[in-house]
Amino acid sequence: MSFLPLAHALVSRQDLPVPAWLFAWGASIVLIVSFFALAAGWRTPRFEQAPTRSLGAGLSRALLGLPAQIVCGAIGVFLLGFAIYAGLEGTEAPDRNFALTFLFVTCWLGFPVFSAIFGDIFRPFNPWRAVGRAVGAGFEAIAGQRPAHLAYPERLGRWPAAVGLLAVVWLEVVYGASGGVAVGLDPHAAGVAALVYSAYTLAMMAVFGVEEWCERGEVFSVYFGMFGRLGIFGSRDGRLERRRPFAAATTWATIPGSAAVVIASIASTSYDGASEGAFKDGIEGVFEWLADTGMNLTTALRLTDTIFMALCFAGVGLVYLLGVRGMRTVPGAPSLAKLRVGFAHSLIPIALAYLVAHYFSLFVFQEQAQFGYLLSDPLGTGTTDLFGTAASGIDFRVLSANAIWYVQVGALVTGHVIGLMLAHDRALVYWPEYRRATASQYWMLAVMVAFTCFGLYLLSVSNG
Amino acid sequence: MRDVRKLIVALLVVASAIALAACGSSDESTTASGGKESGAVTGGEPEKGQPSDGEDVPTIVVRDGEPVGGVQELEYSAGEEVRFRVSSDKAEEIHVHGYDIAKDVPAGGTVEFDFPAELEGIYEAELEGLGVQIVELRINP
Repeated sequence: MSFLPLAHALVSRQDLPVPAWLFAWGASIVLIVSFFALAAGWRTPRFEQAPTRSLGAGLSRALLGLPAQIVCGAIGVFLLGFAIYAGLEGTEAPDRNFALTFLFVTCWLGFPVFSAIFGDIFRPFNPWRAVGRAVGAGFEAIAGQRPAHLAYPERLGRWPAAVGLLAVVWLEVVYGASGGVAVGLDPHAAGVAALVYSAYTLAMMAVFGVEEWCERGEVFSVYFGMFGRLGIFGSRDGRLERRRPFAAATTWATIPGSAAVVIASIASTSYDGASEGAFKDGIEGVFEWLADTGMNLTTALRLTDTIFMALCFAGVGLVYLLGVRGMRTVPGAPSLAKLRVGFAHSLIPIALAYLVAHYFSLFVFQEQAQFGYLLSDPLGTGTTDLFGTAASGIDFRVLSANAIWYVQVGALVTGHVIGLMLAHDRALVYWPEYRRATASQYWMLAVMVAFTCFGLYLLSVSNG
Repeated sequence: MRDVRKLIVALLVVASAIALAACGSSDESTTASGGKESGAVTGGEPEKGQPSDGEDVPTIVVRDGEPVGGVQELEYSAGEEVRFRVSSDKAEEIHVHGYDIAKDVPAGGTVEFDFPAELEGIYEAELEGLGVQIVELRINP
């Protein structure tokens, strides 16, 4: 494929594959931990309806009150606007333009990780929600009534977010078509995409209502909010609360299509990880076959990548559905539909583990650029130096290959354990009899082992 | 009954894990041999019409903005000395990413890179103007 023009990479660096010995250790630990989990599982649910503790009223007012909402919303709108401006007006070199790193690294990778620790921190900064609410408040002030909305079709649920999530990743790694680099998109295209997405989102908010659309269709609210369910802070009725880690995830998947969102997340990360490694030969084969039919080369490459991404989604979904199907055979099982919804949240930690394993080093390296030269020279003009850091670079020495490997394997094992815990907890709700709950969990155990070992496998395949 | 089922599941899981581990390790061995192959290719580079200095310095030949024989894989351990040459029929700027070393090669000329392998990971060297990758540099810990 070397005859295709390769776009500049955001970071022209890749992680070394995890060595065989570490792969073996990782897989062994996963198995030992899994059997320990089977033997030592608790007998009453610990995360379902876990108690929460309200934090002080003063703190809640300060952090959640109207002034804070306005300030946070304004920050969100400013940053989005600035990223779009940088994308449209700044340099076309992806690594020198604020837009790509900010949108696809700082936000796209940063929010999932920090939300998983602290709760849904994207919500107050969500620029579209802020604009939508401001418009709504303006409408109410002028018209003297709340804007009327169409009823959101309940069955559609979070499917628009799942499709949107795949579209974002598609734009990032397929449309960019740059040979599997982290972000192949050029800044101008990213700016246009952000504008189009903003128009679409505001229109949908106008039709269905701001909060309704954020809960179900707005890709970033749904995606970041999903990880936020793992975090320890939440809010209820304007009051900040401290909750048990992971507990809020248990009520996340009740909206239809939620399983598709988490499956889309695992699938898109898998695709990005595998496209230059495990799937490389397959992708090249299909690409050459398509190119031989006389198809335009860029079209052939994008079509090939799209096919493989769709296959990832189908494959990840199939593994989950097989697990669900298996659980149905345990006496006393609820309906398939209920099981399918019921265990979706146990995949959230796996999705997070995949993200950390695949993008941890990219995030650490690229954030040096974000808070270094990109902050001082956001348009990459070479003449601006706002904070005196325009000449700084990325120090690749901050992470050794060994450190990256341990974080990758550690993330997968940790995600595996948390996923098992959540699934076991849910099983205790569906099968009050402990023996049957445990029996059902052989199936989820198989699903989790499959995902974790596949994740380890992707990391260990040479991405040459 | 319960124990029998547990045992079956245990056996299945262990079997699948061993299968996966085997896949992983066999893959590892193929990549290792792949590395050796590419070493042989770079070692055999002088056959492609490049005069050899008697030293085993891999040379990448660039013709019409493309590396002859595809992207060259060079593998080193951290702390070793990275040495390679690039010769090109046209004037190009060669950029080693990560290490951020850039050198110009004149039309019909050769330029030599020589620097310590201090950053671990996989880095690429490109024809900066065309954005075409010519070298994949693997630095193992």
